[in-house]
Amino acid sequence: MDNLSDLWATYRSTVAFAMVNAMFALSTYVVLSAGFLSFSTVVFGAMGGFVGAQMVIHGLPLAIVFIVSGLAGLLVSMVVAAVFLRLNSHWMALASLALVLITRVVVLNATTLTGGVNGLGIPMALPLDWLTGILVLTVLAFYALYHSWFGIASRVLREDPSVAACMGVDLRKVQFIAFGISGIVGGVGGAAMAMLLQYISPDTFFLGIAFTMIAATVLGGSYHWFGPVLGAAVYTALPSLMQFIVPSLQDVANGVFLLLIMVFLPRGLIDPRAMRLRRSAKGRSS
Amino acid sequence: MELFASQLLNGLSLGSLYGLFGIGFGLVFATLGILNAAQGCYASWAAIAALVVAERAGLPFPLIMFAGMGAAAVVAVIVDQMGFQPLRARGADMLGALITSIAFWMILDSLAGFATGQQSLSFPPQSYPGQMLLTQPVPLPAMQLIAILALVVVAIGTHLLMTRSAIGSAIRAVGWNPVSAALSGVNSRYVIMLTAALSGAISGLAGTLGGVLTSNVSFTLGQGLMLKGFAAVVVGGYSDVRGTAIAGVVLGILEVFVGQYFSASYRDAFTYSLLLVFLLVKPQGLFGKGSFVRA
Repeated sequence: MDNLSDLWATYRSTVAFAMVNAMFALSTYVVLSAGFLSFSTVVFGAMGGFVGAQMVIHGLPLAIVFIVSGLAGLLVSMVVAAVFLRLNSHWMALASLALVLITRVVVLNATTLTGGVNGLGIPMALPLDWLTGILVLTVLAFYALYHSWFGIASRVLREDPSVAACMGVDLRKVQFIAFGISGIVGGVGGAAMAMLLQYISPDTFFLGIAFTMIAATVLGGSYHWFGPVLGAAVYTALPSLMQFIVPSLQDVANGVFLLLIMVFLPRGLIDPRAMRLRRSAKGRSS
Repeated sequence: MELFASQLLNGLSLGSLYGLFGIGFGLVFATLGILNAAQGCYASWAAIAALVVAERAGLPFPLIMFAGMGAAAVVAVIVDQMGFQPLRARGADMLGALITSIAFWMILDSLAGFATGQQSLSFPPQSYPGQMLLTQPVPLPAMQLIAILALVVVAIGTHLLMTRSAIGSAIRAVGWNPVSAALSGVNSRYVIMLTAALSGAISGLAGTLGGVLTSNVSFTLGQGLMLKGFAAVVVGGYSDVRGTAIAGVVLGILEVFVGQYFSASYRDAFTYSLLLVFLLVKPQGLFGKGSFVRA
């Protein structure tokens, strides 16, 4: 029993980070599932993170902190969607990458909100039950969305926009909704990240986290809502595991692992199409 | 006035590095459609390899440059064949290639950190031409002139290669449609490897020169080059080498002048805002042609 609680003490923070990364991965996934590769979740996260941090510093209750952070993320995502949705998907990815670069410079210079180079210290740790509750709610929402009108429309849109348009899917509407959801989830995730780290700086929300969320999403599978959650868990647990096995080559091992997944399981760990194929193959053979 | 002129030279040589790196980056992006996050590592590894050659063998500077370029070309071909070829064989999209390139970025960057012992190294002073060519009217270090000349030579050479030679048409044909290129007798796998090697060598040259000019040989060298080179590619129009070269130089000069006369903290903001404006208003860049894809 003691061993178990030791284990929990060691890996408690890994679990917490996996949950926050799952929020970011879901935020990336919802836009990706509407056919856009976008790094803008980082921007939503930064907005939510710094707004949330300021509110915690000023002593507001947690419920309000998360709601307002989500709304801040939503606000940014609507602006981003209005400006970026004119671009086609290739340019969209590049433009959102440029936005991430700009965000860092803005954060560095908006010292009153963000603390500039020094960053912000947050005088409160995130209670794990709050984080779990938020993630469960988000996952339930994604489960409902997957089977809703929006989920079906966005999957059609991703496979072939022209066909989707012919079937009467309002492309703009679906894309805006996707960005809106991404903004809310990203904003809340940003606030959670801020409280988990208890310190945020311009480098918290930069390229590293952008690549982490994309990698987690693709690793888990970007065709099903459970993919990003699983991907985030694996991708977060991996470094601590690798640290155990090959301490000095941790990053190299992570990279090799990601590479192997991409080469051998390009559609990710959770792939609804492969599951359906397997099921129908079994049905035929018996 | 002298400050202005010497800053202009600084901007020109810095911009030449951005332009050079951008040409290598854009070559793969324009022909093979891969947004390669690992491209910056080629530059870091070129600088590291060149440094090793300079320290161990004491060769003349041109050979050191070639050693760096060769190392980067080898790394680029390995990355392409190990990471991108399996995806290509399966007909996967750009997203897959981007993720694999991120994986290679992690691997190569941390290995580079190992190789330099997590510090920033610099070339031994006798290994490169460190003298001033001019002191009046403006100080002109030989290395700055070499960087600018390198950009001019590579830009013209690559442009001619891509537009006027059989190899260039083969590269463009494979980029457009590998199957129809193969039908007209182009060995597409060979051409793809050649493109990767060429792109690696050009980015490697930028890395080697950058390592000498900024006295910084570490994994951060490639990262800085990559972000600015990416901006140069987009602003200049990724389908045209000339555009990338000019945009790189313009960005370098702007960066130095914004830092000198405006505010050092807004240096990067200016570059990236320009990048964003171009993406939104003129995504095909200064010199790019519109691309036509199926609706």
